[in-house]
Amino acid sequence: MAASKRADRRTALLLIAPAMLVLVAINIYPFIYALYISLHTFTLGRPTPPRYIGWSNYRDLLDDDRFINSLWVSFKFVAIAAAVEFLVGFALAFLFSAKLRGMATLRKLAILPIMVMPLASGLIWFYIFNENFGAMNWFAFLLGAPHRIPFLTDGKLAILSLVLADAWQWTPFVMLVMFAALQAIPEYVYEAAKMDGLTPWQTFWRVTLPLLRSAIWVVLVLRVVDAFRMIELIYLMTRGGPGGATETLSWYIYSTGFLDQDLGSAAAEAVVMIIAVSIIAQIFVRRLNYGAAT
Amino acid sequence: MSTIVPDKKNAVGAATGARNLAIYLAACLFVGFGLFPLYMMITTSLKTDQQTFAWPPVWLFTPRFQSYYNALFVFGGRSADHYLFNSLVVTLSSSALAVFLGAMAAYGLARFRFRGNRDVAFYILSTRFAPPVGFIVPIYLMVQRSGLLDTQIALIVVYTSMNLSFVTWILRGFFLEIPIEIEEAALVDGYTRWQIFLRVALPLVRPGLAATAILSAIFSWNEFLFASILAPGDAATIPVYLAGFSASMNIDWGEYMAVGTMAVLPIMIFTLALQRHLVRGLTFGAVR
Repeated sequence: MAASKRADRRTALLLIAPAMLVLVAINIYPFIYALYISLHTFTLGRPTPPRYIGWSNYRDLLDDDRFINSLWVSFKFVAIAAAVEFLVGFALAFLFSAKLRGMATLRKLAILPIMVMPLASGLIWFYIFNENFGAMNWFAFLLGAPHRIPFLTDGKLAILSLVLADAWQWTPFVMLVMFAALQAIPEYVYEAAKMDGLTPWQTFWRVTLPLLRSAIWVVLVLRVVDAFRMIELIYLMTRGGPGGATETLSWYIYSTGFLDQDLGSAAAEAVVMIIAVSIIAQIFVRRLNYGAAT
Repeated sequence: MSTIVPDKKNAVGAATGARNLAIYLAACLFVGFGLFPLYMMITTSLKTDQQTFAWPPVWLFTPRFQSYYNALFVFGGRSADHYLFNSLVVTLSSSALAVFLGAMAAYGLARFRFRGNRDVAFYILSTRFAPPVGFIVPIYLMVQRSGLLDTQIALIVVYTSMNLSFVTWILRGFFLEIPIEIEEAALVDGYTRWQIFLRVALPLVRPGLAATAILSAIFSWNEFLFASILAPGDAATIPVYLAGFSASMNIDWGEYMAVGTMAVLPIMIFTLALQRHLVRGLTFGAVR
């Protein structure tokens, strides 16, 4: 028995080791390496070896207006995008639950944007938002706008345009997940609520919502984390502009590292970002029910 | 108000008729909003150069396939098919690897008790949240030092690791659903642990394998950030090629949209095949 237990353990190890090896190489090691780089001056494409400078890169971040601004822009973008996507997607999940003919087909069509390559979605919206010939300006003109609207070149509008493009892709995702969660609630729950004399509004707050809690949790965390990392729309539509109005932390790291070629600072920013996201992820992961076969 | 609770009864009467009409209208409006950008992409790819930036926008026109011809056969250097092929190679290799390694790990986590099992499972899931841009600098330097810049190998390894988190977690759920008795019976019949994994367990989770394979393929096909940094040249995938257009001053919108259409449509077809396990896959089994 003891021998077979040891054999079992060896089998388990052999099964898990290859995946862990890949993750150590592409996840754990790079994080440690990023920490190392962040303590050095390190310029891309220059032959001089990296020089150790301690925590300077981190200290510089505190005085770096662009960095502080990027945190604020990221926060704004994530908060607005996740809120819009969640609220609209949640409402739509109820709408698409209506038992009407053709609803299943409409649902299938509604979720198509989820699968679009984010870069391609940036391309399409870049075209639609074009100031000179974009469809969005044509609609604005039809609605009586007196002049062309600078959707991507006005500071305040640019971030909202990005939110719209992001919401176009991800509201259907929220709808899809919440719809599935709604379907999983058995009919008798509603019947019991009706028998107890609950109004539809009471049923929603006291019955439906508590049963949807884990689905809401998953969707919110995924939307927050993924909106935080989003870079494709910015790459194509605004490149962080105008004047840093859409420069999120993701874009700032990318541009520090690969446009300004300052890898040391980029690594310091990256470490900050990884730690921030890890905290969110940990809270979430702890809440997932481990034992259940889900 | 009444849509708060999904209506399961067949509705009759004027009031419900009006309500249904409102639901249809709202649903169609949303579907229209979802499809409009795709409609713009496809129609623009069929317009002439003049029509793509006409004001007012041209809505009715004779479709022309010149842009597709240009994208595929007339181009200064490589044409789009080269990059589509790169994408295909990277996508297929990384999905196959992720599903295979992920299935092994998932089975090990689902069926064997050992200290740290829980921690390993949670660690693997938590890598799903790792922000790619946070890892791009060290991974770039690692790839550069190993001489793998602008090769498909670099992308395949990175995408495999990117997909491993959700593949492992989802398949773990699928394995846990198999009644353990089936495997115990096989053990009694003299199968080894490996044979049980390969011949008994894997075939039973086929729907899970299909779902994770398709999801991996979608993520790998669509990935842009790592591709743009690690393989900017000959080994570039289609999103990198697509991004290259936006750098030029005079964008050829027709050709741009033609490449975009070719990059997006294959995945759409995939999606329709996936439907059943899409939610389970996208939420790592938390919702299904």
